Amino acid sequence: MAAGTADAVEFQPGMRHRRIRWRRYIGLSIPALIALVVIIAGVFAELLQTHDPEFIDLAARLAPPVFDGGTWAHPLGTDELGRDIYSRLLHGARVSLIVVGIVVPGAALFGTLIGLVSGWVGGMTGQILMRVVDLQLALPAILFAVLMASLVGPSLTNVIVILLFWTWPSYSRLVRADVLSLRERDFVTASRSVGAAPWWIMRKHLLPNVLNTIVIVMTLEVALVVLAEAALSFLSVGVPPGTSSWGRMITEGRDTMNVAWWPIWLPGLTLLIISLTGNLMGDWLRDALDPRLRNLR
Amino acid sequence: MQFWSYLIIRLIQAIFVTLLVVTIVFVVSRTVGNPEETMLPPLTTTPEDKERFRELLGLNHALHVQYGNFLLDLLQGDFGTSWRGGGTSTLDAIGDRALNTVKLGVAGVVFALALAVPLGIIAALRRGTTLDWLARFVAVIGQATPSFWLGLMMIFFFSVQLGWFPTGGAKEGFRSLILPAIALGLFELVAIMRLTRSGMIEVMDTDFVRTARAKGLSERTVIWRHGVRHALLPVVTMLGLSLGRLIGGTVIIEMVFAWPGVGRLIIDSILKNDFPMVQAAIIVLAASIALVNLFVDVSYRFIDPRIRAGAA
Repeated sequence: MAAGTADAVEFQPGMRHRRIRWRRYIGLSIPALIALVVIIAGVFAELLQTHDPEFIDLAARLAPPVFDGGTWAHPLGTDELGRDIYSRLLHGARVSLIVVGIVVPGAALFGTLIGLVSGWVGGMTGQILMRVVDLQLALPAILFAVLMASLVGPSLTNVIVILLFWTWPSYSRLVRADVLSLRERDFVTASRSVGAAPWWIMRKHLLPNVLNTIVIVMTLEVALVVLAEAALSFLSVGVPPGTSSWGRMITEGRDTMNVAWWPIWLPGLTLLIISLTGNLMGDWLRDALDPRLRNLR
Repeated sequence: MQFWSYLIIRLIQAIFVTLLVVTIVFVVSRTVGNPEETMLPPLTTTPEDKERFRELLGLNHALHVQYGNFLLDLLQGDFGTSWRGGGTSTLDAIGDRALNTVKLGVAGVVFALALAVPLGIIAALRRGTTLDWLARFVAVIGQATPSFWLGLMMIFFFSVQLGWFPTGGAKEGFRSLILPAIALGLFELVAIMRLTRSGMIEVMDTDFVRTARAKGLSERTVIWRHGVRHALLPVVTMLGLSLGRLIGGTVIIEMVFAWPGVGRLIIDSILKNDFPMVQAAIIVLAASIALVNLFVDVSYRFIDPRIRAGAA
């Protein structure tokens, strides 16, 4: 049914056609706006903050947000130690940005490389690479995080390393599947028959054809990585105490959950909105670029 | 014959994966950290204490000897001795908790399946209706909700405010299990529902469903015999693959609900610097994931005749 409507749209002439094309981008505008706000919040956290995010002010503990009877001194209220929640949320955005900014491109790069090689070379090497990829399924990120935390204590570096290790196989699996079908296509066979080097074929023929898949997975992984960082920090195996992370704020808010809603609701809602944003952007991209990936997750 | 050779190859693969996990755990624990620094209190430890400790855990041997001993001990079922609690065997401690984790995991999956499959089928058959739209809306929200936050919210509303369920622990049997199972299963529910819905939409459009309708089968038979049976195959695969995620999820949910399972044992052991316990629990969990994946792969051959035919 949906496909039929889309076809009809393509045949609309003139202005009407253009207006409908524009409407497609409205779905993207709200998530894009939210993403922009988060990026600004994370980058300019020091400029936008009203308080030092870790400054403890026991006199002002559990002050409510301004829309729930509080004052503008703490627009979103304070937690049980009197730390300003608005400022902590800004710095939490920075932690998420750092993690996403390193983990998502890093994992995409490495995972794509392994996927290309294992799909192209095939045989024993390909099999061994795929078994390594399967490790992701056997060793959940949380267990690995727990191991690291028990050895060297929680740190931001740990979180990044663990999430890198944990997310690259998703790219490999999809890229490999694409490569396996691409390598049988005529244009690839033609290149091979005239003696093109494998590396050249990968770069000129295979990579451009898997790029859509990679971009879509990268967008969808943003939400996953943000939630994973929060979960690790919630378990106190993520970022160390004294760092404003949304996951940590939820852990710390849980003791006062029964008397104050804001210390736990605000970071929770922030997380929900951010991961919703990532998913919506990913879905939008997928529908626009490559509808056949609809069953990706 | 075919089946047995397949089983043996799959078994070797499972052993390979487990061995790789064990090796990673060993290498990481011996190179990234230093057990004597993690486990001994820094200020009150004398050099003699350190030496005794190293001897006790075999840390004074060369690394490859340690690795050999480590593997030999594991093979003999010796997963090490807990550093706390009067030297209990770590394997015993894990065994005591394992049943609770299994209970939680199974309850989560059952909850997810029981809701997701019917919802997915209905959403697919009534595509474009309010119900379909609602199901997809819930799916989008559910996928974005952090499970630990959802768990805390449920405790707040259903346990603290309404008093319907206990706030944590496993003392009240089934009533204790409901909230953790929902929090754990929500993510799987969404994934299964999406998969069922798209699978159903796809299969209802195929030639063999059209044939079934054309030969006059009732709509119910078409949907159940031809549609659902087909649409559920990817769900089985996904369930097998998501086992790792599920176990990771139990660690989080056990912490939220103070559920006495293996995940909580691990986190508690970190806080107590009980490294042997952490190490043993990770190995046990990873090995059981490999084992269940093997089981899923093998059972899949019985569910889907095409795989058997394809292998022949």
